[in-house]
Amino acid sequence: MHRRAFLRSAAATGGAAALGSAAGCADREAPRGRVVVPFWFMYGGRNRATLETLVTRFNRGQGEVWFRAVFQGDYFEGLAKLRTALAAGAAPPLTHVVGEVVPYLAEAGVLEPLDHYPGAHELPLHPALGQAGSFRGGEQRPLVVVPFNRSTPIAYANGRIYDAPAAPATWLELEQTARALTRPGRFGFGCPIDWWYWAALVAQAGGHVVELDGAVTLGGDAGVAALGFWQKLVDAGVMKQPPGRDYNAWEQLSQDFLAGRVAMIWSSTAFVRYLEETADFPVRALPLPRGVRAAVPTGGTHFVLLKSAAQELKLAAWRFVRFVLEADSMAFWASETGYLPVTTEAAGRLEANGFFAKHPNYRVALDQLSVAEPWPWSKSLFRIQREVVQPALEAAVLEHLDPGVALARAQKLAQVSAL
Amino acid sequence: MLAVLGVFFVYPLLSALCTSFYDWDLLTPPRFVGFDNYRAVVASGELLASLGTTLLVSGVVVLGSLLLGLALALAVHRPGPLAALARSAVFSAYVVSWVSVGLLFLWIFDADAGVVNRALGAVGIGPVKWLTSTSVAPFTVALIVIWKVTGYAMVVFLSGLSSIPPELQEAAALDGAGPISRLLHVTLPLLRPTAAFVAVTSLIASFQLFDVVRLLTQGGPVRSTTVLVYAIYEQLFRDLRVGRASALVVVFFLVLALLTWLKLRAFRAEAAA
Repeated sequence: MHRRAFLRSAAATGGAAALGSAAGCADREAPRGRVVVPFWFMYGGRNRATLETLVTRFNRGQGEVWFRAVFQGDYFEGLAKLRTALAAGAAPPLTHVVGEVVPYLAEAGVLEPLDHYPGAHELPLHPALGQAGSFRGGEQRPLVVVPFNRSTPIAYANGRIYDAPAAPATWLELEQTARALTRPGRFGFGCPIDWWYWAALVAQAGGHVVELDGAVTLGGDAGVAALGFWQKLVDAGVMKQPPGRDYNAWEQLSQDFLAGRVAMIWSSTAFVRYLEETADFPVRALPLPRGVRAAVPTGGTHFVLLKSAAQELKLAAWRFVRFVLEADSMAFWASETGYLPVTTEAAGRLEANGFFAKHPNYRVALDQLSVAEPWPWSKSLFRIQREVVQPALEAAVLEHLDPGVALARAQKLAQVSAL
Repeated sequence: MLAVLGVFFVYPLLSALCTSFYDWDLLTPPRFVGFDNYRAVVASGELLASLGTTLLVSGVVVLGSLLLGLALALAVHRPGPLAALARSAVFSAYVVSWVSVGLLFLWIFDADAGVVNRALGAVGIGPVKWLTSTSVAPFTVALIVIWKVTGYAMVVFLSGLSSIPPELQEAAALDGAGPISRLLHVTLPLLRPTAAFVAVTSLIASFQLFDVVRLLTQGGPVRSTTVLVYAIYEQLFRDLRVGRASALVVVFFLVLALLTWLKLRAFRAEAAA
């Protein structure tokens, strides 16, 4: 049954993607006289099909610019290609990048300042999702990003197994729920041993991965508490940590959840549509619990214009950015994918047309934005993430290391890595 | 020919050597740092760990593919449709793409839902963390590589077996040698060059290991399956450190050059003998 449901969904998604691609192929022959703008994007499946629909709408909606969307792998593969293209002087005018790497790219001077682009400061962005809300001190720097597919971590529960009226509100309740839902052949809870979810726990425990003064503390006691909480659940046999890293681990956990092998998981709001359509049980999206306070990090990507591109292309790319942020486009994007509506207008549209009332799972992440935690504006953030924290988390959980010792070691390495 | 060699082999190597002395992220201007990149990969333990993992996986792969390839070749080196079917079945793994192999084994070795653990569970053996245990994962990767390359080893051994003159076996049999004795004193000594060839090709294949690691473990858990090629990939494409990646490339080249030299020396010594 799971398999059939999965295959049906895969076939539907594949069909949609194929139609989208076919439409994209047909649209690749740009009409004469238009400015052709390459746009590099980094996701497949339904998200890709939805984006290509937006591109097609944009191309048909005006007669001067022709957008050409080019798939470049996952976020990190795309970033590697972008960097190579920048070195080769062949970067596109527009792409989208994960938040952690924005300070690095900005400090390297490759991002186009957007302050003087028409309407850049009048965009009706959700306060937590623009540059000012996404990065500490982001408002004091030149504007270089516009939010695109933004997300927060949320919990998904199998509605057949978890029938409590509310989500586990605290870490203790989450632990009790995980224990209560665990059965032979089924974990009560599952979470990738991943930086993003750890950062959520650190913030909930009252800490900061990078302090306000820029010192890399990895959360101090809060970081240790966050890691210790995971260890406790894993050691008790009530939390599944999926194999693999990054999005491989996320996808693996989704499959475990869909197959009924895990009752509740932490994942991204970006998976809401996929999980709802694929599961043969009701899927409930729930907010994350609080520790000493409620907090969630934001994720996903931001639009960036590359400074090296021709001015004409950058201006044309900016038109596309504005188009995507229009209420119609953004409401379509958010309702088709599960990503956050990044503008207040789009969120209002989805509220007004009854979408959120009909699909309450989609507004869990939006509601969580009231406790969104901004990222530090730190050039070394992505290296701290990839080189230091991620291996330390894995080692501590899998090898049962003392969380304090593991993070102290990681912090020491961060001093070197941050160079 | 020299121009091709120069452009596609010598220049990239010299370029990597040169870049290994710079701190460079492809975005900002390169900065000369001398041997700092080499010091960094040694001090962080990355070089030793990834080299150790590579040698461990390679050792298991070479030994496993040699023994299994030889055993299979001996078993199916006979006429008949059944043997032909067995030969084809074993060799078919070799032509399957690494991506398919990775996805297949991701399912087979899943700790909770994989067929291997289900089978083990049926006979009362607890779940083995094939891909999520730091001590087991390198061997799981090696096992998968063995599964993939053994078909090739078998075919090479079959070719070696076919080239042994049947008269030698007949003469040994007439002298009273049994099957085991013929295997030990006639077949295996005559298969030594074939075995050396299989060992070299398996070694090269396992040193180039990347796809299956990328698909199955992404170098984890922790860094237990981060082989040297994967470490280079991570430095370059994940951490944006061109200099350190180049330093690892130089070391990788030197290791391969050393292994090739040792192998050539062994070949020459054997030829001379």
